[in-house]
Amino acid sequence: MGHVSKRLYSSASKLAVSTSRLKQFPPKEAILVPDSGKPNFFDPELWAALQPPPTSALTAFAHRIGLANVLSSADVVRRACTHKSFLNLHAKYYPSSPTPPTNANLATLGNSLMGLFASEHLHAAYPHLPTRVLKAAVSAHVGPLTCASVAQEMGAVPLLRWHRQPTTPMSPALLHSDALASIPRAITALVYQEISLQSARKFVQSFFLSRQVDLRSMIRFRDPKRALIETVEKFGRERPKSRLLKETGRYSNSPVFVVGIFSGQDKLGEGFGSSLKMAEYRAAEDSLHRLYLTRTPDHLLQVPSSTFPFKQGNIYKTGLEVPYTPGVLGEAEILYASSGRSNIVAPKRPTLEEIEARREGLDV
Amino acid sequence: MATKQILRAQLRSYPANGHSAYVPQVRKIVLEYCQNLPSSTNARTFILNDLQRVAWQNPHVEFVVKQRNGHEPIARGFYGCVASFCDTEHSSDLIVVNGRDKVIPLQEFEVNGVEKKVQLLLDSSGAKIKQLKRGRIVESTTEATRGIWSGLHVDTPFKI
Repeated sequence: MGHVSKRLYSSASKLAVSTSRLKQFPPKEAILVPDSGKPNFFDPELWAALQPPPTSALTAFAHRIGLANVLSSADVVRRACTHKSFLNLHAKYYPSSPTPPTNANLATLGNSLMGLFASEHLHAAYPHLPTRVLKAAVSAHVGPLTCASVAQEMGAVPLLRWHRQPTTPMSPALLHSDALASIPRAITALVYQEISLQSARKFVQSFFLSRQVDLRSMIRFRDPKRALIETVEKFGRERPKSRLLKETGRYSNSPVFVVGIFSGQDKLGEGFGSSLKMAEYRAAEDSLHRLYLTRTPDHLLQVPSSTFPFKQGNIYKTGLEVPYTPGVLGEAEILYASSGRSNIVAPKRPTLEEIEARREGLDV
Repeated sequence: MATKQILRAQLRSYPANGHSAYVPQVRKIVLEYCQNLPSSTNARTFILNDLQRVAWQNPHVEFVVKQRNGHEPIARGFYGCVASFCDTEHSSDLIVVNGRDKVIPLQEFEVNGVEKKVQLLLDSSGAKIKQLKRGRIVESTTEATRGIWSGLHVDTPFKI
């Protein structure tokens, strides 16, 4: 095997192009022909990006995720795996072929549906969770990185058709993770369209809402003691009092104190530490965690979208419904030290000057 | 006390393959054989008679049959493709997307042996096979400083 063919084989295996379907491999344009001074520009990555994934890979993908009846043909799967950035590439190199259908509309619809299912599930499961933590939890469950990760685990990486786009003043750079994230969203929308809303919810429940998320790390306090005092007052209970429960080694180099915070006779939370202040701080955090992370048991969990009829079609028409008892509406969490600001920082996109400065910096 | 900002677009969840939905990691099996050499006879018989049934039973896998004259018969299994941004350290799962492939030579097997090896490829996740107790034949929480007790080497040997 010549060195050109060897390099092509290794590039092909990295880029996961199935060579068994091709008429000729290596392709004609890759092989250097001693011509009359004509330069041969061949980019193997670009060539690989233009090759369509084989039909067998697409149908195998549909069976692997258990949706062979929804993604009934390879064309449907191909559509779900084509990102809209691929259109530029396709139009440039195959201007005469019809434009391939993309997953842009499906991804938008699927994103909204996933947001709906995740929000209602998390709100029903954790009724007392603070609003910003709930929003962060929804992002963790169905956000862009998770969607990309799920797409990878499903085996959609070799099936994705996309084209990398750099940062422009109008739009941010298109990353591989963003292009991959469009695939599970498109699949959710397809399940909704082909079967029903309830089936789409089951799909999102099994692939997204059953994954590991650490909610505790998302709850952060500036002053947990103050937050606890105000929360207890809001619930109309006695003012919290911290009491030392256990201690050992007070004057040694490694003391341990266990402090409990009580509201009257009820212990709200417990914390340990190597100093009294540290233990009290942890006890306040623990009390607020026990409130915020209260979870509805699975057999009592009911979500509002379960009231929509099971059939395909207009969800606003009356049909067979499941009886629904609304869950607990938790008390909103207290805000302190915010001076009315929301403290949300939006990511900034680089201005024209900054982009040019970066380019000049690279040139110099 | 200022707390560190949480950037919502960077939050993610970690895989739990099998906790509710199970996605098998095998995506493609390639069977290579030679048309002429006798070592490929059983592989060729399997491909002619049994491969279609196995493929029908496993619709989530692509089966590729490749003729390679002058080479020994092989079954090669391809497992999930990895994307560069994904971090799998936090996953507590045993099933992790590894992007590996497993190759099994088929020349010494009978036809049902070939089927068993294909089934092995279908059942695998692509992960490297690690020994459970590498080098440690007996596993104990405490090390035996004076050796392991034997009932025969005491003053009054144990009698049932």
